[in-house]
Amino acid sequence: MRTFADGPALSLHEVAASYGRDPVLEGVTGRVEPGEAIALIGPNGAGKTTLIKAILGLVPVVHGEIEVLGTSPDRARGRVAYVPQADVLDTEFPVTALQVVLMGRYRRVGWLRRPGAADRDAARRALDEVGMLARAHDRFGLLSGGQRQRVLLARAIAQEAELLLLDEPFNGVDGTTTELLLRVLAGLRVEGVAVVMSTHDLSVAHLACGRACLLNRRQVSFGPIEEALTAESLRETYGGSVVTLAGATTILTLR
Amino acid sequence: MARALVEVLLLGLVGGVVGVHVLLRRLAFLSEALQHTVFPGIAIAFVTGQSLLVGALVAAVATIVLLGLLARRPRVDPDAALAVLIAGAFALGVVLVSHRRGFQRDLTSLLFGRILAVDTRQLIETAIVTVVCVTVVAALHKELVLLAFDPGGAASLGYRTGWLDLALNLVVALVVVAAVRALGTVLVVAFLVTPAAAARLVCRGVTSMMAVAVVLALVCGWVGLSLSYEASVHHGVRLASGATVVLTLTAGFVLLGAAAAARSALARPRVAGRRSVRGTRTVNR
Repeated sequence: MRTFADGPALSLHEVAASYGRDPVLEGVTGRVEPGEAIALIGPNGAGKTTLIKAILGLVPVVHGEIEVLGTSPDRARGRVAYVPQADVLDTEFPVTALQVVLMGRYRRVGWLRRPGAADRDAARRALDEVGMLARAHDRFGLLSGGQRQRVLLARAIAQEAELLLLDEPFNGVDGTTTELLLRVLAGLRVEGVAVVMSTHDLSVAHLACGRACLLNRRQVSFGPIEEALTAESLRETYGGSVVTLAGATTILTLR
Repeated sequence: MARALVEVLLLGLVGGVVGVHVLLRRLAFLSEALQHTVFPGIAIAFVTGQSLLVGALVAAVATIVLLGLLARRPRVDPDAALAVLIAGAFALGVVLVSHRRGFQRDLTSLLFGRILAVDTRQLIETAIVTVVCVTVVAALHKELVLLAFDPGGAASLGYRTGWLDLALNLVVALVVVAAVRALGTVLVVAFLVTPAAAARLVCRGVTSMMAVAVVLALVCGWVGLSLSYEASVHHGVRLASGATVVLTLTAGFVLLGAAAAARSALARPRVAGRRSVRGTRTVNR
């Protein structure tokens, strides 16, 4: 079972991240507590994926500090699960859904060993949780986009991580999958898992997350979602295309 | 003949197993590059009378290091870098060999191999390479598959993906080095790529792909070698043995491709219901 560290799941202090000389993203400061969910909002190229990769320790932090689960991103790897977008993966690759989920267990299994019965059980439970157990032995690439996204979430569940990072999990998925993802993420938060997800769907962000971080190559706002995503801050980030409906919900016309 | 057969079977075994990873990790082009860049190494060893294996190995490791360094420079297009490296290395090899008398014959044997001239020492070296490569690939099997499928996921799980890649590249280099003396620098890649590519046409899992690739490589190696031997000894028709083996492999690839096409054509009416469900899913995507 998971063991949770005391203190914040994620703590960012004046973070700037860069692939080369110029920072892609700067001035990010905030905390995510266990059981909290935070939405990373911003236009394409705002640095959402860069921030996720910096939290994973895959992009160098050139300024400031990132603390993940009370330690450095490098040392927290394995306790952090990353859910990529389903369509970045090769659909021709010869693996089944179950084999993909088992990959989440590989670090626990260790070098030179094959996943055992306990790992298979954990993988099947995770598939069941996302409603994909019946498709366990189907080839991953034959599943629909939404189903592949669910399998990738199952892989993160099987990993039993304390912090979940999701890259545009609701991109191009059907209504059933959206509802299911929201329900599963809520369940994980009750268990104490912290969730960080990038999205440009503001309505989904409101449904899934209590807090938000608005980015546009630097941090625009970070806090409770209603305070972070005001009509004003959104206009500052996206330009003019912001519509406010009934005062409470802010809807953005992106496409 | 017996030694040649053992050599071909060993290469078939290691080529089939490693080839599957080459295909999954999309390293076919690296294999192609290696078979050309080991040429100057072999040429130097040949001219100076050193072990061809050592010469090839040094050149292969130099290639991997050089490609690794080039890949770190975003300005250099990797395809262009490879092309420059291949052409340059190959020219260097030709220049080195052309210094010698009997240049044509030497060049031919280096380019196309001399599988029938395999000696015991060479056999032992190939056996060692086979054991080392199969062991490494078997030990890292699940990690290599994960890395090929989802490099970002592998990195996020905490795997040092650079080291895993280096390990696989070195294994590929070893196979190329071992096979290059028997098959020559032009035909080596067939042993790494053809069996695995053929297996992929008919298999749905990584493990079954490996099994089919190995069996295909063994059968085709045996058939090809026997064919060229029979033709040369009993019918007076000279068939270059390495090339005949590669042609047999290619025929195997075509046969499996035809089998896969026939199977899906036959299967369509029977599982029409299931197919159509998949069809609508594709449309939804």
